[in-house]
Amino acid sequence: MQGVVDVILGGAFHAAVLFLVAAGLQLVFGVQKIINLACGSFYALGAYFGITAVGIAMSLGLPAASFFPVVIAAGLLIGLVGFPIERVLRAVYRRDESYQLLITFGLLLMFQDVFRFVWGATPRTMDNAYLVYGVADIFGVRVPTYNLLVIAASIGIAVTLGLFLQKTRTGRIVRATAENRDMAEGLGVNVSKIFALVFTVGCMLGTVGGALVVPSSAASLEMAVELVVEAFAVVVIGGLGSMSGALVGALIVGLMRAASISIMPEMELLSVYLVVVAVLILKPAGLFGKVTA
Amino acid sequence: MPRISGLWVLAALIAVMAVMPFFASSYMLLMLLPFFGYAIALLGFNLLFGTTGLLSFGHALFLGVGAYTASTLTSKFGVLSYEAILLVSMLVSALVAVIVGALCVRYTKIFFGMLTLAFGMLFHSFLFKFYSVTGGDQGMRVLRPLLLGIDFGGGKTSFLIGPFYYYVLALFAVLGAVMWRITESPFGLHLKAIRENANKAAYVGVQIFRMRLAAFVISAVYGGVGGTILAITTGLADPELAYWTHSGNLVFMAVLGGSGTFVGPVIGALAFVTLQDIVMTVTQYWRFVMGAVLVLLVIFLPQGISGAFKMLFSRQSGGK
Amino acid sequence: MKLTRRSFGKLAGSGLAAATIPAVFSPAIAQSGPLKIGILAPRSGVAGTAGECGIRAVQWAAERMNKAGGIAGRQIQLIVEEETNPKDTIERFRRLILQEKVESVHGLISTGVSLGVAPVAEEERSLFVMWDGTTQDGVKETMPDPKFVFRSTDNECEAVMGSLLAVKHFKGKFKRVAGINPDYSYGRNNWEAFKQILTRFGVQAEFVAEQWPKVGTLDLTSHVAALKAEKPDLIFSSMLFADLPVFMKQGTAAGLFDGVKVVLPAAGWQLNQLKKEFMPDGVIFGHNTLYFDYADGSALQKAFVADYMDRYKEAPHWEADRAYFALAAYKAGVEAAQKAGGKWPTPDAVAQAIPGLDVESLGGKGRFRKDKIAEQVFYQGPSTNKNKYDFPTLASVDVFQADQLQKPPGVDFWDWIKTGKMPV
Repeated sequence: MQGVVDVILGGAFHAAVLFLVAAGLQLVFGVQKIINLACGSFYALGAYFGITAVGIAMSLGLPAASFFPVVIAAGLLIGLVGFPIERVLRAVYRRDESYQLLITFGLLLMFQDVFRFVWGATPRTMDNAYLVYGVADIFGVRVPTYNLLVIAASIGIAVTLGLFLQKTRTGRIVRATAENRDMAEGLGVNVSKIFALVFTVGCMLGTVGGALVVPSSAASLEMAVELVVEAFAVVVIGGLGSMSGALVGALIVGLMRAASISIMPEMELLSVYLVVVAVLILKPAGLFGKVTA
Repeated sequence: MPRISGLWVLAALIAVMAVMPFFASSYMLLMLLPFFGYAIALLGFNLLFGTTGLLSFGHALFLGVGAYTASTLTSKFGVLSYEAILLVSMLVSALVAVIVGALCVRYTKIFFGMLTLAFGMLFHSFLFKFYSVTGGDQGMRVLRPLLLGIDFGGGKTSFLIGPFYYYVLALFAVLGAVMWRITESPFGLHLKAIRENANKAAYVGVQIFRMRLAAFVISAVYGGVGGTILAITTGLADPELAYWTHSGNLVFMAVLGGSGTFVGPVIGALAFVTLQDIVMTVTQYWRFVMGAVLVLLVIFLPQGISGAFKMLFSRQSGGK
Repeated sequence: MKLTRRSFGKLAGSGLAAATIPAVFSPAIAQSGPLKIGILAPRSGVAGTAGECGIRAVQWAAERMNKAGGIAGRQIQLIVEEETNPKDTIERFRRLILQEKVESVHGLISTGVSLGVAPVAEEERSLFVMWDGTTQDGVKETMPDPKFVFRSTDNECEAVMGSLLAVKHFKGKFKRVAGINPDYSYGRNNWEAFKQILTRFGVQAEFVAEQWPKVGTLDLTSHVAALKAEKPDLIFSSMLFADLPVFMKQGTAAGLFDGVKVVLPAAGWQLNQLKKEFMPDGVIFGHNTLYFDYADGSALQKAFVADYMDRYKEAPHWEADRAYFALAAYKAGVEAAQKAGGKWPTPDAVAQAIPGLDVESLGGKGRFRKDKIAEQVFYQGPSTNKNKYDFPTLASVDVFQADQLQKPPGVDFWDWIKTGKMPV
């Protein structure tokens, strides 16, 4: 029983963070038809900036217990960097999609050195601030309360995003633009504004993900490049352009990894790829995917 | 002014490369060997991208296949004939391409790019994980091969910049000519039709899946050959050859040179190798500079160097 | 250090010699100008922080040596290139010796890269002193008798020492052993060495769990949970990248280390990130060849540590010592060869002069053996959190010489580990 709870909690924690990054990817793709290879860079940016922000907050005398909202605020704040970056991407919207993929690859390369320049080559960690929220006991498994907070925050963000897209007027406009951009434009939608909004929200999802995970983990120079592979696996499994796909895909990847670590550690590296290949053979569009070709 | 055929540009390039050893330093010549490897791989890559419209972000997979074929044959099986290495790596690349391609070519554009990235990384993990076979992170040695059965002896560098250089140059010329024939053939025209409008092409009877798969396999074969050249120059086959950012560099090269022309990607390979060498010497933040170059390239010069030249010439001759 | 500028035009015009002449590595003709030494080290990626420490140390060393007259009267000029993957690093190596015409190259941390570069160095007859990156596999076939390549102490020395100390300090106090090691050659060899030493010393232990996280994994919660489920008494980990502080952090949070002995032979690399808040007391902590807070350290070490901490606000780790040692050994070799030959020595002469010369490095005396493998001093010990820093220091320091931890020349490591003389 304890083993199962371990796998579920560990997997859910990993999935929570993966979901945020994948959701950012899906949102941007769904509306703008761009795959952002730099999604990992935003994740890393959120992580690094989160550490800096918490450092500043602590030196300003804020109580240790406040660092959770600080971390979220930091993620949202640095996510605003999406606005200027979107302006750069505007140059290629009407071009072939391949160029969009390429320009984000260029951004990824640039970001790598920005991180090194600003934060150095040494991995950055926060001390054990996250333990200030204590430790919870779930079915005999000792888990830091912070991990549960992260899972909860991720669920909260997923629900908020879903409500936004389904219930609000702007959300409906966003979905309409995703369905058919030209029609939306013809109906008077300011597509530029929508694109700017969507891209920035997509970035924020990534930066918040990074900021959320860094208190219990670390920020390092290769995290961006490594994350892209996992995020892509999630999107391929879940189906391109689908939010539910991001959720289910993230859960599958997170749980598969946790289960493999528990049962067959040597397979950890390959377990996710096996799922990807299986999905490709059995349901190529992904579990929730629609049009892919 | 008649349109300069890509084949002539290629021939001119080969002629220049042939006399390079009389002018260039050893270091420059050593730098040209990876260029040849990349150029051959890119000829294949562009059959897929420029001609058929499929952007692969996992082409480095085949560089890896070629490299590890060379290493396995030379250090595990003692097969030193470069001809044998070429043949086997082409076969293995083709085989892998059939399997991977069958799963990937149904999709186009972005999804194809994502899938190929995933498969490239799958191969990378495999190379890393099965270390008893592949050497894992330590890679596998690639011994010096026999060219046309001859053991050239002497120092490694003199071998590389002498006999090997000319062999590879000849290989490049032959493969370039073959690729030219392929792109100008009816098969090539079908591919271009598929790129332009897949539905229309299907309507007039073009077998989309089969054609794309064939293009994928051919591109893989070229990639494998390129991989053997890289591996022999380096002396080691290691998993990082298949990492997805290496695939990204291949795309960078193709776009830099211009994926719209036949010889563009080759020029891109030369430009990239030279540019990276200079930038790495000048600054430690070379990743930033290369990334910025790519961004600016995509925004301001998406047709690449060769495309820009083409525009220039057509303007001079009155345009079309 | 200023990097030399080159423009493409200069590159094209500089090639004069017919390329068919074999490229014999030859030192710069101007033997009174600056002495160019190439440095190859990672600056980004998982090993970026280690490379950075080494580069800083070699720059400090060069400055110091230059103030004292340089090497045999010539001022040292360092040319730094980045170590990335084997293929690209070999290209930068070739640039250093063929284009920049350096007299010697020092550096390299990654095993895979060193296995690729070493044969090239031998082929080019260029003097190459490695900082790190020597494992057992593949070394025998590639380089049975190197003439120009000097290798660092075996990567497994720290595992051997850590294992010996585990036996010394913890024998009889543990029954269930778990290991979590990075999934590549270094991690595998370290774990295997540890198991063999325990067996050899008759320690009755059950190996209950093994985890193999990918190098640099930053989410180890599941690994921690899997280890905890097996209730080990002792955990051995040779992790040494950003994953180590994450493991300690997440492990402490989950209560993995309560009442558990911990052995971390390579922890020194991540010293500054291993904060006291999540480090248990009494961890067998490996500092390899440089323990920055060693009370009995030499004046040289103390001066270096003081300067380093003042300038960079963090403690140096052993890569600094490796970098210093390489330069110091090279200097000693050049000066000895010059004295013997009366003129500026060829790389051949230097390569023959270096083995056997005792050199003072930051971490103590060291030398290269006849088979061109280094011998240095190793420092490990149980850790304590009672100090003025925000990371642990050593409560007591065990000092071993490399000849106690390293296989003798010509002997297979796995044979030696079963039968060789050991200091415990």
